[in-house]
Amino acid sequence: MDGLCCGPGYASPSEAVRATREKLLYTIAIYTGTGIQKPDYLATIDVDPESQNYSQVIHRLEMPGIGDELHHMGWNACSSCHGDEKMTRKYLLVPGVRSNNIYVIDTATNPHAPSLHKVVDGAKIKSKTNLSGPHTVHCLGSEIIISFLGDAKGEAPGGYLHLNKEFEIVGRWENSMGDIPFSYDFWYQPRHNVMVSSEWAAPNTFMPGFDLEEVGHLKYGRRLHIWDFEKKKPIETMYLGEDGLIPLEVKFMHDPNSSHGFCGAALSANVIHFWKSKDGKWEWEKIIDIDNEPHPDWPIPVPGVMSALLVSMDDKYLYINNWLHGDMRQYNISDPHNPMLTGQIWMGGLLGKAPVVNGVKVAGGPQMYQLSLDGKRMYVTTSLFSTWDNQFYPEIRTEGGVMVMIDCDVENGGMEINKDFILDFGKEPNGPSRCHESRYPGGDCTSDIWL
Amino acid sequence: MNKITIANRNNTIFEVKGTKPLLSELRSQGLDLPYGCQYGGCITCAAKLINGEVDQKSQVALNNRQINNGYVILCVARAKTDCTFDIGVESHDNLYRNPFIDPLAPHELKADIAILKDNN
Repeated sequence: MDGLCCGPGYASPSEAVRATREKLLYTIAIYTGTGIQKPDYLATIDVDPESQNYSQVIHRLEMPGIGDELHHMGWNACSSCHGDEKMTRKYLLVPGVRSNNIYVIDTATNPHAPSLHKVVDGAKIKSKTNLSGPHTVHCLGSEIIISFLGDAKGEAPGGYLHLNKEFEIVGRWENSMGDIPFSYDFWYQPRHNVMVSSEWAAPNTFMPGFDLEEVGHLKYGRRLHIWDFEKKKPIETMYLGEDGLIPLEVKFMHDPNSSHGFCGAALSANVIHFWKSKDGKWEWEKIIDIDNEPHPDWPIPVPGVMSALLVSMDDKYLYINNWLHGDMRQYNISDPHNPMLTGQIWMGGLLGKAPVVNGVKVAGGPQMYQLSLDGKRMYVTTSLFSTWDNQFYPEIRTEGGVMVMIDCDVENGGMEINKDFILDFGKEPNGPSRCHESRYPGGDCTSDIWL
Repeated sequence: MNKITIANRNNTIFEVKGTKPLLSELRSQGLDLPYGCQYGGCITCAAKLINGEVDQKSQVALNNRQINNGYVILCVARAKTDCTFDIGVESHDNLYRNPFIDPLAPHELKADIAILKDNN
């Protein structure tokens, strides 16, 4: 862009890297499944070190009812409509996985105290589109698509809800689900006319908790799907097999010309790298394999459970977590075929490496994280999903979640826990809540896509 | 009408008609209960049945071990007799387990994939 326009976001990833430092953070916190009969809420967190409220929750926007299980969220607009000066990055769309409601939250009128703008009713979504179990929100130019993991009865494979910019239900986005058995996350790269989607499980399978036996009964995913983005239909499946059990988060490089992307297979604790070869064929390989670790109380070694993955805005570093082990890792991916481990920190986890961080006992392990646009600050939370938390970290009920900040060295590589920042959600006014995904008002490393 | 006794709420008694699921009948009488999906798929509203009998055939969240431990999905279950329940997360002592440390036997899986002992 010429700098005379513009709409939301940035002209390019390199411009985004140079953006102003984030001062606020919006983070989801849940009471669903905790025993506290209060609504889930969106917390505003002060991350301005010059502020007297630094490292504190400064506002809580409660949802209208209980039991949503807020999980992931996304913006109404991102850099994909940077050229449209009529658009603004104003609204956060926050789905409730269990209630099926989509909350549209106005963060622009008062960024410190967001307010509820609109509710897209979960029952209406079911009746109009036969979808339930919302997950990933991406804007699509000026409109929005949201992946859903189930049909109205919670059975796989679900599909994609299309909302217009007034947040009205247009209908289903996709023209076909092909033979896709499960849905979860997705990311698109328009210059390659491609979308890649991953597989968790049907809502009726994962919502009640994790039965390991159901992996063997093929109730959990092990594939990635390549879509013709313009035709809105899947065209190819990558069967990952044992290397790719429960493939969750999918991210492309931010460079819109790149065809390289990554997926974290949670149960296999592997990173799958995919790319388009010179002859136009989609390829994949396993590039990171986290060994299972022995535990005195476990009959089998503990898998990492790599539940999330993030690429820095300059495409230099890949970050992964091992929720059950308790570590976060940074890899230099300048050569995406050969990642180099450049940083690692420990916080919580089952291996007992870092039970206390900055004076706060950590229930859970590193689970969701958001990175600043300049790549230097990463905010990490500890809760995965209420029922899964209750299985693996039952103490999180009384101790709540924790947010930790990691200083990342973008020049030489390296990660270090920041000693001045800690947020203990165990001390929330209504009792211990669990923090999950975060977004920054000015954009972040999991929101923006360039056309 | 059936009498529903909530043991862990001082044995408070509610009368239900059985025309709606227990969650909505009890909530409409002022009992504060957790819930999520409201179609029997997500386990948030699970309570433990101590005495009595319910019809919860439309639930799809519980595996057979959880059912054998007495768990009931209140958002779809209806009382067939007088019942006594423990409610809320205090009743969830046997609901959640670490699946790696404590695996399920084939007959303890969810109904659609369970292999019943008699068929072995």
